[in-house]
Amino acid sequence: MNIPGAQSAECPSRSRNLQRIAEPLLWFAALLLLWEVLLWLLDVPLFVLPPPSAFLWRLVEEQERLLLHGLLTTKMVLYGFTAGALPGVALGYLIARSRLAERLLYPLAVFVQGLPKITLAPLLLVWFGFTDLPKVILTALVTFFPMLVDSAAGFRSIDPRLYYLARSADASRWHTFRHIELPSAAPSIFSGCRITVVVTVTVVIVVEWLNSNNGLGYLVLRAMDAADTPLLFAILVVGSTIGVALAYAVDLTERLLLPWRRR
Amino acid sequence: MRDTAAGDGAISPARGGASIRVRGLSKTYGRPPRAVHALGPIDFDVAAGEFVSLIGPSGCGKSTTMLLVAGLEPMTAGRVEIDGRPLTRPLSDVGIVFQDHLLLEFRTALGNVMLQQQIRGLDRDRQRARAAELFARLGLVGAEDRYPWQLSGGMRQRVSIARALVHDPSMLLMDEPFGALDAITRTQIRHDLELLWLDTRKTVLFITHSIDEAIGLSDRVLVMSPAPGRIVEEIRIDLPRPRPAHLGDYPEFARYARRIYEIFESLGIYRFR
Ligand SMILES: Nc1ncnc2c1ncn2[C@@H]1O[C@H](COP(=O)(O)OP(=O)(O)OP(=O)(O)O)[C@@H](O)[C@H]1O
Ligand SMILES: [Mg+2]
Repeated sequence: MNIPGAQSAECPSRSRNLQRIAEPLLWFAALLLLWEVLLWLLDVPLFVLPPPSAFLWRLVEEQERLLLHGLLTTKMVLYGFTAGALPGVALGYLIARSRLAERLLYPLAVFVQGLPKITLAPLLLVWFGFTDLPKVILTALVTFFPMLVDSAAGFRSIDPRLYYLARSADASRWHTFRHIELPSAAPSIFSGCRITVVVTVTVVIVVEWLNSNNGLGYLVLRAMDAADTPLLFAILVVGSTIGVALAYAVDLTERLLLPWRRR
Repeated sequence: MRDTAAGDGAISPARGGASIRVRGLSKTYGRPPRAVHALGPIDFDVAAGEFVSLIGPSGCGKSTTMLLVAGLEPMTAGRVEIDGRPLTRPLSDVGIVFQDHLLLEFRTALGNVMLQQQIRGLDRDRQRARAAELFARLGLVGAEDRYPWQLSGGMRQRVSIARALVHDPSMLLMDEPFGALDAITRTQIRHDLELLWLDTRKTVLFITHSIDEAIGLSDRVLVMSPAPGRIVEEIRIDLPRPRPAHLGDYPEFARYARRIYEIFESLGIYRFR
């Protein structure tokens, strides 16, 4: 059975989708054009600010390297994000469900959040050298706290009477979690993911820039050495594409897993 | 044949309704100095298969009574016996309709009802068949795949009634199930519930604010005083069943209703001049 009217609403919503993508793209193209014209009029040197034509051309020229290092960066983002989000959600659950856990763990989590984490990068380099660990650890640290806060809020917002319902059905702890708690908190968890995942791209790039021999951050370093400003901009384009793509992937997963949400 | 949800030690009385016996039951929430004496002490009985309403002013402890009878909140004093056995853990052979439906917003209407099957580990096909039957009886056909936000208030209440009945419990606890509904929907749902009850003869403890509803549905009405609530009167309703939409046709109805109003007035709940 379907919602009446859902079928007929299909078509307009698809064309509206198209419009939603096309509009910002056109807007973007117009901005680039303006940029191009202005630079040409003002005669700005290439190494200070390259025109779009220059860095887009560089993007094409360097596509192989950009793709390779972009994928490496993405991989680190995913590892680090997962390594931070899973314990974040788990501790968020504990803190929401147990006063004791809240008293013991929350101050610790706040302390982790308070750390100026980028300054840990050199330390991590000393400990782990040119491995992937510094990137993963730092990304995980940045991801951890927002995920903890959002998922704790999600688990706390559950109507306590749902626990009555579960107990009267003799529900096991696992069933309660699987059928009631997790789906109730899922929207909050996803909103935490959406915000955090974009930030983690920056974190990985910064650590790569500080100490690594691969990834977009490493490419940044190389481009700076060569005073290759168009390449810097090309890297910027790739980096923000990764961020947008990850945020979109989170959205898509949410749509698939939580079809019940109003839109 | 019926599904038994219970594991060992769970209370699962015989089919056709369980009896409830409540003695000296009282509840105080919290600890001093912030303790709230919410209920009692109260005594009452509900016979197997009987339909009993609890009516009283807001805050008098009706929901609390329901939670205590279901074993979901620890009692402060007294005891509850289900089919003669003292209640020591949450009752599982029970269907509960909570105040304002309490549906899971992330499950469809059918998904909400099938929650019982999943959690209780019942036979899936049989539960689906039962759910389909209940949807038909409650006028929910076509709403199976809608989410709660796509349902009207009346449909949500009907879904939550179906969820309370799908596992065929011997007792039904209903906390103001029609509270948020308009008068027209209420009258219809009341009738549907009465027919359903006439077929199954489950024991029902029905909580309401509505005098009409209490008289329209019950074998007996227990009238409660303001907080901390006590049971101040028990009124046996002798009206033929199924009862009509317009209860005013019965002269006895007016008598019962006047009796309840009088009690409320004598308790200072109503102050009409
Ligand atoms: N979990 C709780 N903690 C503390 N006090 C509570 C709790 N639940 C209920 N109370 C208090 O106990 C009293 C009785 O509450 P209860 O919900 O049983 O009333 P009710 O008769 O169902 O009211 P209503 O008709 O408005 O639903 C109220 O004073 C209420 O504030
Ligand atoms: Mg109540």
